[in-house]
Amino acid sequence: MNPDQTRNAEGGTRNGADRLRALNVPQRVKVQLDEQRRPTIVQRATLKDSLSVAGNGKRVESQGENWRMDDEWWRQPIVRRYVEVVLEGGGRVVLFEDLITGEWWMQKPV
Amino acid sequence: MPRNHLASSTAACCWIPLFALRCEEARRPELASQPCALLAPDASRRIWQVSPLARRAGAKPGMTVSQAIGLCPALRLCEPDPVHYDEQFARLLAALSEVSPVVEPAELGRAYVGTDGLEGLYGEPEGIVAAIERGTRKWERGTDERSSSRCSAFRVPRSALRVGWGLGKFVAWVAASRAKPGEAVIVRPGEEGKFLASQPLAVLSLDPDTHRRLRQLGIATLGRLAALPQEAVVSQFGAAGRRMWRLAAGEVVERVMGREAPEPIVAALAFFAPVADRAMLAHALDRLVERALKDPRRIGWRVQVVRVRAELEHGASWLVEATLKDPTADRDRIAAPLRTRLEQAPPAGAVERLAVEFTAFAPGTAELQLFARDASAAARAGRQHALRTALQEIQLRLKRSLLYHIIEVQPWSRLPERRYALIDYEP
Repeated sequence: MNPDQTRNAEGGTRNGADRLRALNVPQRVKVQLDEQRRPTIVQRATLKDSLSVAGNGKRVESQGENWRMDDEWWRQPIVRRYVEVVLEGGGRVVLFEDLITGEWWMQKPV
Repeated sequence: MPRNHLASSTAACCWIPLFALRCEEARRPELASQPCALLAPDASRRIWQVSPLARRAGAKPGMTVSQAIGLCPALRLCEPDPVHYDEQFARLLAALSEVSPVVEPAELGRAYVGTDGLEGLYGEPEGIVAAIERGTRKWERGTDERSSSRCSAFRVPRSALRVGWGLGKFVAWVAASRAKPGEAVIVRPGEEGKFLASQPLAVLSLDPDTHRRLRQLGIATLGRLAALPQEAVVSQFGAAGRRMWRLAAGEVVERVMGREAPEPIVAALAFFAPVADRAMLAHALDRLVERALKDPRRIGWRVQVVRVRAELEHGASWLVEATLKDPTADRDRIAAPLRTRLEQAPPAGAVERLAVEFTAFAPGTAELQLFARDASAAARAGRQHALRTALQEIQLRLKRSLLYHIIEVQPWSRLPERRYALIDYEP
């Protein structure tokens, strides 16, 4: 499922009766990769135009674990490649690539 | 065997289903016309009680908030206020004790009234039941024509009260569970067997496993259960089986056991040197109230009348007494009127000995102990109150509450964004 599909104007996602707002909603980002497909620069994308870039982006200082997740293959398959990274300035985030659409997303680590 | 004068074989069971929810509806009448649910008072954040409208939409106790909202989008969620429910129930018990001295609380919203000997006052069981209904009605209005007690009104819709009368607590309870709201079912002596035979097994409080096994055996009513040989039921279900068989067969008459109000409780303090400083006296008062509250005889009772005696220098004395409008077991609420009197009419001299006495009590409930007694219950109520006030202020200023609960949606999900969500906070 594309996380953007359930996003509303307030920046959160709502479920059921439009009363629940999901927490830790992924944010769309643009990621530059090296030749081994490792993220090197992460740039935040705005909601309006998912490909327009806000700011110059942040360099990836180090890369931690990475893993793949396949889920909900019985309805709308979700296939993601997760990478845990530390950005310049010390922020620790989790990036994932939607392997069906090729889009990159950023989330807080759990 | 000595006869307990606060026990009774004939019983009236007074039952208000969904008592906590009814208390909320009485406090906020707009809830009566909406599907609403109470959250559990524990940390689980699950649904505790649901209104009939919400139940019709599919919401059930034990569900997570997200499940209930998914089934009933218009569901109003309420934060529980156990101290308030407990106070309301204590008032109901006080109302019932005006009809009979033998009152036994069973759970929040359900109490038994011993009716042995009341026939001399009210005649047939119908008259006794009518007296009970009249008693609760009077307290609903907040006045009692016969008594000078000044308790405030018991505000739960009378139509919610169901009464069952019969021999023993079990028959009375089953009768109450069969009664329609605002009505009574009377099981006359000798008719217990016939009455119980047609009742469903659900009236027995069985664990789900026993219930399932009985259902699989094709036993759906008490009559079917009682028709089995007792030994067979015991061999299958053990001691619990014996008890349920005897209840189903009407062979057990569980008496209503009233409680004797405790003797006055006294806590005293002798000062090394006479004290005239009011702040020090007020502090000593707090400590003494606290000590008296800890007396084991006080457990299960709320303080209604408190008295302070002071022995002064040169043989004089000082005495104040306060009757609490709402009986309580909270230190600050008991000490507050005493502190006021200490400020307004202080002792005429230095105090050598100070004593606090609790002289009258109102019954508490088992639920009070469940919901955490006294200090922690009061602290929780205080936090709730503060939160509610803050919320009202925010709503006034910003037109929206902007306060949210964090609830579990799919905590097991591998997708982090599916695990938790925010929902509007509605106290």
